[in-house]
Amino acid sequence: MGLKHLRYLIVLGVLLPLPAAAQGSTAPPSGCEAPAELVQDSPQLPEVAERLKAKQALVIVVIGGSSTTGRAAGDGDAAYPHQLELALQRRHPGIGITVLNKGVASETADQMAARMERDAVAENPALVLWEVGIADAVRASDLDEFTAALQAGITQLHEHRIDAMLIDMQYSPDTTSVINFQPYLDGLHKIGDLANAYVFHRYDIMKYWSDAGVFRFTDVPKADRRELATKVYACLGERLADAIAYAAR
Amino acid sequence: MATSVARPTRDLRLDFFRGLSLFLIFIDHIPGNVLSYFTLRSFAFSDAAEAFIFISGFTAAIVYGTMFRQRGFLLSAAHTYRRVWQLYVAHVFLFVIFTAEVSYTLNAADNPMYAEEMGVGDFLKEPHIAIIQALLLRFQPTFLDILPLYIVMLAGFPVVIALIHRHPLSALIPSALLYGAVQHWSWALHLYPDEHPWFFNPLAWQFLFVIGTLCGHSQTLGQRVLPDQIWIRWVAGAIVLFCAVISITWLIHSIYDPFPPVLFQVLWRPAIDKTNLSPVRLVNFLALAIVVISVVPRESAFLKGAIARPVVLCGQNSLYIFCLGILLAVLGHFVLAEITDRIPVQLLVNAAGVILMISSAFIIAWYKKASRPPASAAVADSAE
Repeated sequence: MGLKHLRYLIVLGVLLPLPAAAQGSTAPPSGCEAPAELVQDSPQLPEVAERLKAKQALVIVVIGGSSTTGRAAGDGDAAYPHQLELALQRRHPGIGITVLNKGVASETADQMAARMERDAVAENPALVLWEVGIADAVRASDLDEFTAALQAGITQLHEHRIDAMLIDMQYSPDTTSVINFQPYLDGLHKIGDLANAYVFHRYDIMKYWSDAGVFRFTDVPKADRRELATKVYACLGERLADAIAYAAR
Repeated sequence: MATSVARPTRDLRLDFFRGLSLFLIFIDHIPGNVLSYFTLRSFAFSDAAEAFIFISGFTAAIVYGTMFRQRGFLLSAAHTYRRVWQLYVAHVFLFVIFTAEVSYTLNAADNPMYAEEMGVGDFLKEPHIAIIQALLLRFQPTFLDILPLYIVMLAGFPVVIALIHRHPLSALIPSALLYGAVQHWSWALHLYPDEHPWFFNPLAWQFLFVIGTLCGHSQTLGQRVLPDQIWIRWVAGAIVLFCAVISITWLIHSIYDPFPPVLFQVLWRPAIDKTNLSPVRLVNFLALAIVVISVVPRESAFLKGAIARPVVLCGQNSLYIFCLGILLAVLGHFVLAEITDRIPVQLLVNAAGVILMISSAFIIAWYKKASRPPASAAVADSAE
């Protein structure tokens, strides 16, 4: 649990269950809202803001691991990057917005930073979303190397005048009792702060959904898993669109 | 470990602060624990791990160092290795319990959202290799990393104490050079799987252990542990205050964004480099130790009082209480992850853990006292 989440719990006192979960990908998913506290962060996205304001086409690249490839939902169109693209197109009809999915399963921050130039910068994007940290936490990578890789990757993007947004880890109650995410979450959040990159608190948002009963991540029958993943990705795409709208306001 | 060696009255400060560090290690080992934001690490760059290793070196010098002088190298080395063996058995025991928890959790819920990444939890796929690696201390699942460090430190202790008796500098200089080399060239020992480095790099942490041993050694000789100059205390006090102010601004910043984190760009990365015991952590800890020694005199009435007693008892039985603390942290984490991690439940888990640690310490102390022959009952068991 990050401090943001802690503060949120203190402010609200109790969690109120929300109504039914998200729908398919054609309409915006509903029922999986998240508190503004968890979606909003202070760094801005000037490049995105400029293109949106001028109604120019823009490219967003997503660098990430297997949750970015969308494997749990079966295919790339269900993955959250594509869902984000749909959400942005709904919000900004007439502006060509493309989201490129550059997810590769099980990569550490180091490996992702190494392909930042080839996979992200080369596409000339306005914004790079960097989904990172799961493989590092699972392998218990050196925290210092993890944060150094993040900082190097973000600096590289900023040098090319590309906005950067970090997406932290996925949450599920079972994995947290086996894998120590906390140091990597803290490290990622601090680097966002240090390098002035927007942090999308996926972990806290999914935890909020889990606590509030929006989604149930434990004891899911095999037959229902793909559907669950599809809904969660659609919701994450929508919340990412909220975050981008907020940071590019 | 009952020894017939006569020694001066026990320095209860060691027991008290070791006990305290055991509580903090327990609290810090529950991931996401609310209280962990308010332990030493929020007010200093160093945390309980430094205190634990320093005090371990200090007490080793008192117990095995005294024995070295009175009974010779062989016997003191044999006693040290008996201790190393106990620690090793404790580590393997904790490993088995931890593995049981992991196996249970992974089997009870193979996770829909983590299809691929979780596959890296490889050790359940190849237990035959993982178990051998664990016995070789090369496989340290998260949360089980301090004990292997302590084992390696103590295993090197007979050499360190022999060198110190020759001349303190003959131990301190090589140790400092090794530490410096690690800082400069990032030397590391590697673990299974994926060759990731030891969380606590023994090549770096040995320096703090040797410093602790040297301080303990001076105390057994009746020398001052620290030079007596008053300016050293003032400098130490200033360092502690400086680091505390900076750490607190970081803490406030992480709760309330607009508050500026002082020197964050410069100091945050070194401050979290626990693996190699970065110089800022080491300096902060040593300053803290000097301040504590100055502020809490050895004869302080507080240490003998009722409030300090539970903490002192935990410190006097540190191996048992340490293992219990790690075990309770794993269980506590399990409860928070599987049931709920609402703040009242978190506080309850913390309280229950500390109470269990204290009551166990009382039981162990009672048992030791009750089972000793009356004549030697007065001699405290310093080996713990």
